[in-house]
Amino acid sequence: MAARSALRTSIDWGSLAPLRLRSRHVAEGVYAGGHRSARRGAGVEFGGHRQYTPGDDLRWLDRRSLLLHDRLLVRQFETETDRALRLVVDATASMGYRGTQAPGAKLAFAALVSAALARIALSRGDPVGLSFLGGTSATHSVPVASGRESFERLLAALETSEAGGDAIKDAGVLDRGLSSLARSARRGSIVVLLSDLLDLPKEAPDRVAAVASRGRIVVVVQTLDPDELTLPFDGTMRLRSLEGDVIVETDADAARDEYVAALAELNRTWERALVARGARIVRATTADDPIRVVRSILEAAY
Amino acid sequence: MSFVAWLALGIGVLVVAPYLAHRLRRKRADSRLFAAAHLVPPAPPRARRRSSLEDVALFSTRALAVLALALLGASPLVRCSRLSLQRSSGASVALAIVIDDSMSMRAKAGNQSRFERARDAARELLASAREGDAVAIVMAGAPARVALAATTDLGAARALVDAMPPSDRATDLDSAVALARGLVAELPQIDRRVVLLSDMADGDPDGAPLGEGSSVPLWAPLTDIREPASDCAVLAADRTRKQVRARIVCSHDANAAGRDAVVYSGDDEIARAHVPLTAGSDAIVTLPNDPTTALVLKLSGEDAIASDDAAPVVLESGPGTIAVVADAAEETAVTGGPPVVEQALSALKGSVAIRPIPIVPDRADDLASFIGILIDDPPGFTPEQRHALADFLKDGGAVLVALGPKSAAAPLGATLQPLVDRNVSWTENKSDGADVTKSAARFSDIAGSLANLGAARRASLTQDDLAALELLIPWKDGAPLVARRTIGRGEVELVTLPFNVDASDFPLRPGFLSLLDAWEGRVLERSSPRRQSVGTAWTFPAATSVRIDGPGGPLAVVRDGDLLRAEPSLIGAYQVAFSGGKTEQRVAAPVTREIDLRPRRVAESASTSSVGTTHSQVDASWVVALGLLGLVAFELVLRVRAAQRPVEELA
Repeated sequence: MAARSALRTSIDWGSLAPLRLRSRHVAEGVYAGGHRSARRGAGVEFGGHRQYTPGDDLRWLDRRSLLLHDRLLVRQFETETDRALRLVVDATASMGYRGTQAPGAKLAFAALVSAALARIALSRGDPVGLSFLGGTSATHSVPVASGRESFERLLAALETSEAGGDAIKDAGVLDRGLSSLARSARRGSIVVLLSDLLDLPKEAPDRVAAVASRGRIVVVVQTLDPDELTLPFDGTMRLRSLEGDVIVETDADAARDEYVAALAELNRTWERALVARGARIVRATTADDPIRVVRSILEAAY
Repeated sequence: MSFVAWLALGIGVLVVAPYLAHRLRRKRADSRLFAAAHLVPPAPPRARRRSSLEDVALFSTRALAVLALALLGASPLVRCSRLSLQRSSGASVALAIVIDDSMSMRAKAGNQSRFERARDAARELLASAREGDAVAIVMAGAPARVALAATTDLGAARALVDAMPPSDRATDLDSAVALARGLVAELPQIDRRVVLLSDMADGDPDGAPLGEGSSVPLWAPLTDIREPASDCAVLAADRTRKQVRARIVCSHDANAAGRDAVVYSGDDEIARAHVPLTAGSDAIVTLPNDPTTALVLKLSGEDAIASDDAAPVVLESGPGTIAVVADAAEETAVTGGPPVVEQALSALKGSVAIRPIPIVPDRADDLASFIGILIDDPPGFTPEQRHALADFLKDGGAVLVALGPKSAAAPLGATLQPLVDRNVSWTENKSDGADVTKSAARFSDIAGSLANLGAARRASLTQDDLAALELLIPWKDGAPLVARRTIGRGEVELVTLPFNVDASDFPLRPGFLSLLDAWEGRVLERSSPRRQSVGTAWTFPAATSVRIDGPGGPLAVVRDGDLLRAEPSLIGAYQVAFSGGKTEQRVAAPVTREIDLRPRRVAESASTSSVGTTHSQVDASWVVALGLLGLVAFELVLRVRAAQRPVEELA
């Protein structure tokens, strides 16, 4: 919470200024923007012909085609629109973990990266929406909107978010977070999911990958604590998970290799499911530089 | 088995049982939250560590606390070897502690010197004193002196003992014990006693046993520092150009076999000679050249006292000399032999040499070798003589001048300056003797002998001269018979009758000898002998300020009436600097009898256990209780620290 409270000061906002939210995919926005639109409209760059349909503006009727080929064709031009950024932050209990070497909890790091992405998108006029997986009663989503006020609402939501909920026990956590997204996200929207991917149900990879359909760009940011990469404990340990009531008594030294292998296998499972649907995965730890992580996300979204 | 053995076993079990309990139980695994716990494979129970002690510091603290508690219950009494007072009736005690700070106390007694042992003993005695006890402290180094008058302020006594320095003085046990008795004799405490902390080596081993027939009991507890020891000391080292003559004495049954007398200039050895084994023989060291730097003669090897093995080398000097200027031509006819005043001085058999000279020297250098000048009826002085006398007086010389008919008939150009500023007249005497009642206190005995003097005429002084005089013995009509005036640092005593029997019967009176004796004493007091026994006071009459630097640093100078006084307590060379810029070197030499380290006998009653004891039992419960309190506090600290461990580390 302390790290999230310092959300406004814990990142170099100036270094984000030159960054842009870009993608090769066309967008299907509502308002004019800086992204190539899936639609044709007023513009200067030629975008092709289509068959004349009664009612089309006669100004765009291609008279050369009519004279040469005796066909009624209408000239079309490329247009630009906005691209929505949909942030999904995993706020289940496991995201509240903070190890001995980490500067903060995983949720705090995810909130920081989310705020940075929102700032980048909003600075170019793109709308941003925020939703959570799990979280306590203080955690609330922010609808898709653009403008400076939207950024303040996003920050407030990120700052007040608290880790809570058990995605293993409560299958509805995943549904509530993704179902509305799958319905409302337009084509060309960029969906960024920030999660540790550890305590999610088995069907979670497929459910997340399914969001990448309909021309949406999905980037999954696996946010782990440095302890979770290496299991740096010594001797006999009694480990209790934050979700699922798992208690494991083990010798950390003896179990380290098997743990690392299990984590790698989990990552492979997620990678297979996401790549198959065109989604991307970015791996980060809470000890990483958040600016570097943001750059990685923007590159993955392109 | 006895009860004590069972008790010890029980305490042992109390200490060991918690340790065994810690060792036998298995330690619970460290518990912590971990988000990816479901990915961690469980390990079999054999992986658990067998626990050792979880908190060794806490366990040790508790074990010690159990032991301390058991010890506290036993109310331990620690028997230790220390001096303490025996209180026959439990009442308060008047105690006079005599501490010997003489040179013999510098000898070693085990790991410390005898003086340090005596000082420790004094501290032990003061520690056993209670509120209401009166304590006085007397130092037995010659001259015996009171360091602290009887007081109930034990803190002041402890501070005095802590700050007490050793010295090289001789020993004066009899006077010190007498002083101590006097200090406590009149105190209200019924139980009075004198404790003598000394090695008893006062140079009089065959003297009467100390403490016999005394109304105040004497206790001499330190028998361990009375062992005889061998010591040799350099009493004097005199130099005549290229030879240094060292006077070396050794304690009883000891000699300086195998030891050398070595002369050093700074840290460099410049000459050496064997010390003769014959008692009383001097060691002669021949110098290779005529060095101008300060020299020190040291004895090679070691003995009981190191501080007396070295002495500064001084130019050889004999006893002080008094010059007598008297006209023998006129008086020999009456008395026969030397002038009467010269015969009188010789009859005194003082420690000064008498040297008759025909006239007052013209040069100041010629007067510098004298410590005093006696002039009988001088017929005035030439200008050169006046200058020489003025310089002699300015540097602290003493002159006794008898004024007579020749003084009154001084030729033209010859005056009596600087002794008398105006002319003197030889007038009729209308008084029949000295006025005893108006004489100075110190001269009242002399004046009594001169109450009826047969003198037809006497010397008369002008009013100007009278104003400058201090009247010592007046005639009955108030005119001065004996008077004194101060000139510079020196002083002049004037007598208005000449020292010959033709003018009066003054030289035939006992008071005449007493007058000469008193003047000789003052001359000696004013003189500055190069070497004097340590502990003997140096006086500096008429000096405004004096700074003395010695082996122990600056020496304290106190004003005693009209003269300054200092008392060297360490042997060695002292540099005396007067306010006018004049400096001189003085040497404090050891006293011969102090070298004899044989102890003097002590009366049987002085070692009786009713006075005090050398062993005492001390209740150590308070120490154990304090320790227990500290252990409890330490355990609290450990517990607080354990409570502040990070949350992740807690089960």
